[in-house]
Amino acid sequence: MKLALAVLLCKAIRFVGKLVGKGSSLPGQIALKICPDALGRVKLPPYVVAVTGSNGKTSTVEMIAAVLRAAGKDVVYNAEGSNQIEGVATLVLTHCTLGGKMKGDVLLLESDERYARYSFRWFHPTHFVITNLYRDQLTRNGHPEWVYDAILPALHKDTTLVLNADDPLVSCFAQGRDKVRWFGLEAWDGATAEHHGVYHDGYLCPVCKEEMEYTLYHYNHIGHYRCPGCGHHRHTPDFAATGLDLKAGRLTLEGDTQLQLSFHSIYNVYNILAAWSLCRLCGVDKATIAQVLGSYILKNGRMVTFTLGKHHGTLLTSKHENSVAYDTNLRYIRDWDKPCTVVVMVDAISRKYFTGETSWLWDIDFDLLNAPHVERVVLCGKYVNDLALRFDFSAIAREKICCYPSIPEAIQAMEGDGEEELFVVTCFSDRDKLLDKVKRDN
Amino acid sequence: MKLVHLYPQAMSLYGEYANLALLTRLLESLGEPVELTAAAPGETPDLSGADLIYMGAGTERTQKAALTWLTPHRQALGEAAERGLVLFTGNAMELLGASVTDKEGTLYEGLGFGSFATVETDKRMPHDVIARTSLFEAPVVGFMNKCSVTSGVDNPLFTALDMGTGNEGDKGPEGFYQGNVMGTHITGPVLVKNPAFLTWVAGKLYKNRGESMPPVPAGQPWMDMARRAYQVTLEELSALLR
Ligand SMILES: [Zn+2]
Repeated sequence: MKLALAVLLCKAIRFVGKLVGKGSSLPGQIALKICPDALGRVKLPPYVVAVTGSNGKTSTVEMIAAVLRAAGKDVVYNAEGSNQIEGVATLVLTHCTLGGKMKGDVLLLESDERYARYSFRWFHPTHFVITNLYRDQLTRNGHPEWVYDAILPALHKDTTLVLNADDPLVSCFAQGRDKVRWFGLEAWDGATAEHHGVYHDGYLCPVCKEEMEYTLYHYNHIGHYRCPGCGHHRHTPDFAATGLDLKAGRLTLEGDTQLQLSFHSIYNVYNILAAWSLCRLCGVDKATIAQVLGSYILKNGRMVTFTLGKHHGTLLTSKHENSVAYDTNLRYIRDWDKPCTVVVMVDAISRKYFTGETSWLWDIDFDLLNAPHVERVVLCGKYVNDLALRFDFSAIAREKICCYPSIPEAIQAMEGDGEEELFVVTCFSDRDKLLDKVKRDN
Repeated sequence: MKLVHLYPQAMSLYGEYANLALLTRLLESLGEPVELTAAAPGETPDLSGADLIYMGAGTERTQKAALTWLTPHRQALGEAAERGLVLFTGNAMELLGASVTDKEGTLYEGLGFGSFATVETDKRMPHDVIARTSLFEAPVVGFMNKCSVTSGVDNPLFTALDMGTGNEGDKGPEGFYQGNVMGTHITGPVLVKNPAFLTWVAGKLYKNRGESMPPVPAGQPWMDMARRAYQVTLEELSALLR
């Protein structure tokens, strides 16, 4: 009875909330007050899939949803990204009958690393996809091992883990468990024998802290590794990317399926690989997955094109406090082969909280911009001096760099100067300061 | 000058390597040749004749590994500290004390430069910091990412905090400074963020050699950037207190 009331109220508040444009966590919050164990009482669909990790969660979830829908499955997912327990409750209860049975074939959840253990207190996913653990928002998250420790209690023994075999820390989740499936990337032309990047989070084994041995690196600490101390090692993937030509955008999966990449990025390859593995586990045939993922263009607005003066520009939305997200975009610019100007904006470090912490700038591999086609680097925003200091310790020639203490000044200066391609690298917290001043392409 | 970076790959969780990059730049601008060496896990650190021995922050588990590695060299570190400066930042500071107890209750014996003890908790207290010291006038700005309480420090580095969590709680005192051994829980490139602290450290290295530091030459763009960056952060953080 309490459950039925919670479902009813949740639906009603959600309905009103949609009319007035309010967020999606309030209905669940109220429903949980009435029936605190509501999530433990409902009958869930046969597949309950959670996706977590530092980077790529949203992309992976969107790709999974697109594939499963193309395969004819009824997918319920938290597209609005409210991945705390109240948001999950809203999603589940609004899709329930009054008898407490949830509609749909698949419940798909993007799960915040820090809140997973609270969300999954009352039920557990059938499949848990963990993409990677990087240095991400360390001012909130501490460090990757701290996040690992936060996720661990959320993993139920009956849940099948779908893990990135190439991430040594993510691989530790498999310790003492049978139900694990692995995805990974085999050797390809872009893999290196040496580590690249400013810092090396795979330098020590996450299990025993001996120095780790790598036979190859895909990027950062992602690669093929083995610890001589305790034997912690990369597992042979159940779902492998067996061929990759990043320049041509060709990806081969499991030796026999070709896929054309719309975004030529190694990070995108891993998101595809994670989505592929999960969809295969849900019984979707290879051809259907390849067809959907091959033509899939990310819709989350991370890449926006625009016009400013005589410049054509591309905004590559990154995340402040996440050096891997920055490196992703810097690599994209490095592989661009025409003359361009790169704009880096750091004005508000976060949308959600204040911090003056800028140590993450020292983790970004700005040397990637040390290329002849990068003709100019424009730094701007409140933290322009921190940026300028960081660049002064990079390989980029000082005469290529100009600095503006505010974003409007930088935009104004660029508007009347030159017509080369612009690449703007910044965070969600700062991107509107640009987008409000330029003409967006349709 | 000989600078030694202990465990640089693993104990550099918040860009700490930049402290040594800037210190090197400053010393070189003063006409001082710099030799920067790294002492990696598994190696015996060469601390002889070191002017500065530095370690940054790591994960709690890596911190214990660094301690296990460094403990057999404790005496060499003590001897090196008779003439060189030892600076440990972030949770490396905890290693300078008598012990670190992890959140499961396991006690690890520290290097024993101070008699203080650290106990880890399962709660992180990340926060921006404004800290006061009697060593120089400018307040120090930075960030802390700690999950521990340190008690029993007799000689703190920072007498009080305007913002942030000190050794035993809010507002300080914070850190440790005795003889030539210095520690603070402020993470990241604390010397990068604080040109006054950077300059003080350089001055201390000269003093330890019985020399006085030449004046810092004017018109160095990187130093001007660092000063302006410091000013902006100090103003931003101070505004939060009003
Ligand atoms: Zn190991």
